[in-house]
Amino acid sequence: MHIPDAFVPLGQSIVYWIIALVFVALALKWARSELDDEKVPLVAVLAAGIFAIQAFNLPVGMGTSGHLVGGALAAIVLGSPFAAVFILTLVLLIQGIIFGDGGLTTMGVNIINMGVIGGFVGYYTYGALKGISGNTYAAAAFAAWLACFVPALAAAIEMAIAGTFPLVPGLMAMGLYHAAIGIIEGVITAGAIYLIANARPDIMEKRAEVAA
Amino acid sequence: MIEELFDIERIAYRNSPIHRLDARVKVIITVAAILTIVAFPCSAGVYIVGGMIFLYCAGLWAVSGVPPGIYFMRLLLILPFGIFIIIFQIFFENPYFTVFHPVVALPFGVQIFAESVEFASILGVKYLVCVSFVILLSSTTKMQDLLEGAGRLGMPAEFTLVLGMMIRYLFVFAAMFRRIKNALETRCFDAFDSSLPYRYRLRELSYTIGTVFIRSFEQGERTYTSMLCRGYGRGSHLFITKKPLRKGEWLLLGGTIAYFAGTAIGGYALL
Repeated sequence: MHIPDAFVPLGQSIVYWIIALVFVALALKWARSELDDEKVPLVAVLAAGIFAIQAFNLPVGMGTSGHLVGGALAAIVLGSPFAAVFILTLVLLIQGIIFGDGGLTTMGVNIINMGVIGGFVGYYTYGALKGISGNTYAAAAFAAWLACFVPALAAAIEMAIAGTFPLVPGLMAMGLYHAAIGIIEGVITAGAIYLIANARPDIMEKRAEVAA
Repeated sequence: MIEELFDIERIAYRNSPIHRLDARVKVIITVAAILTIVAFPCSAGVYIVGGMIFLYCAGLWAVSGVPPGIYFMRLLLILPFGIFIIIFQIFFENPYFTVFHPVVALPFGVQIFAESVEFASILGVKYLVCVSFVILLSSTTKMQDLLEGAGRLGMPAEFTLVLGMMIRYLFVFAAMFRRIKNALETRCFDAFDSSLPYRYRLRELSYTIGTVFIRSFEQGERTYTSMLCRGYGRGSHLFITKKPLRKGEWLLLGGTIAYFAGTAIGGYALL
């Protein structure tokens, strides 16, 4: 889902960068005001942890593998979509500059897709579904699935606007692939949240208050 | 991806004129190269401009003394997603050309167009140049130097602090990831072993990932507390000393940008 350099024209990349920077600034503001006092370093260390989480190869079935994006997980546990924006911005920065995964000019669009869209879709779907069904884990699983599926569609639309991949085949390919990968993202996120809620309930509870 | 972290950093710790260059110079050269090639119109001129810029990258790589095999290994790891999109280009029309001539007609009405093949190769050249410069940058610059360079180039203090923390703990978690992987393998757990029930494999993986989350959160809490003990507060930031660029570095920077600009203008004039 990481759009590389040269796949989005420079003009459009700049627009995406500006939008992304607005959200990054909001995320920084969130980290300073909502997290108790100045707990920004905690989120920075957690971002490194999410990077490690992304390294686990997960069996999707039929011989394919995927990995977690972790945006929904961070947003749900920390109780804010801005947690995902913050963490994924840091992760994408390292991925783009050190590992060459995703580009420099396209980093803005990648932050929008995975951080902003993924984080907001994941967090608010979780909130709404939990309110309706009352089942935390089913809500988390579906939210994480959607947080994987919707950014993939967004990436397909952006590449269609950029003229580097036609819309319908792009939506089909990206949508189908990430709908499949998303299932495992959902299951693993729900499982991880189950563990966190049992082992360190204070992390979840404290954040729930912050969210309210 | 995190598994390669130690290898990349080890290469960045080598010693060569390119490794010793100030990080700012390398960052600006990388960004300039990427901007030049991305901004260049999608036309046949890309081959010349891309070729010239790629040659420059290859030259810097040769001076850095890092074996070319490392470049190809890293390229292989990065390319798949981009290559996938590039290869599929040949079946589609794109907005960069007006007339499309089918060269091959396949069953189910699928066609390969001459112009689409050309667009795919243009995209391929652009992509290769961008990726090559990023590989060069990260293979010749330590992460800490990159961070300080970014700070000196004007990255806000809030970001350098946060990014610095993240970089430091990336290595901690890379080591943790390796230990967890070894522990799972020692107990003969293979996530792709189809003889194990799928449900069981998913449960183990999700608990492992949940554990990493908790461990990193707790590490964050400990780090934060110890920082408080050492006087961390709202005004704290990463201390970056001032460091003027040397004359040679200025020359290289100016020369490189002039070379890129000249190549781009030359390529444009040839169109």
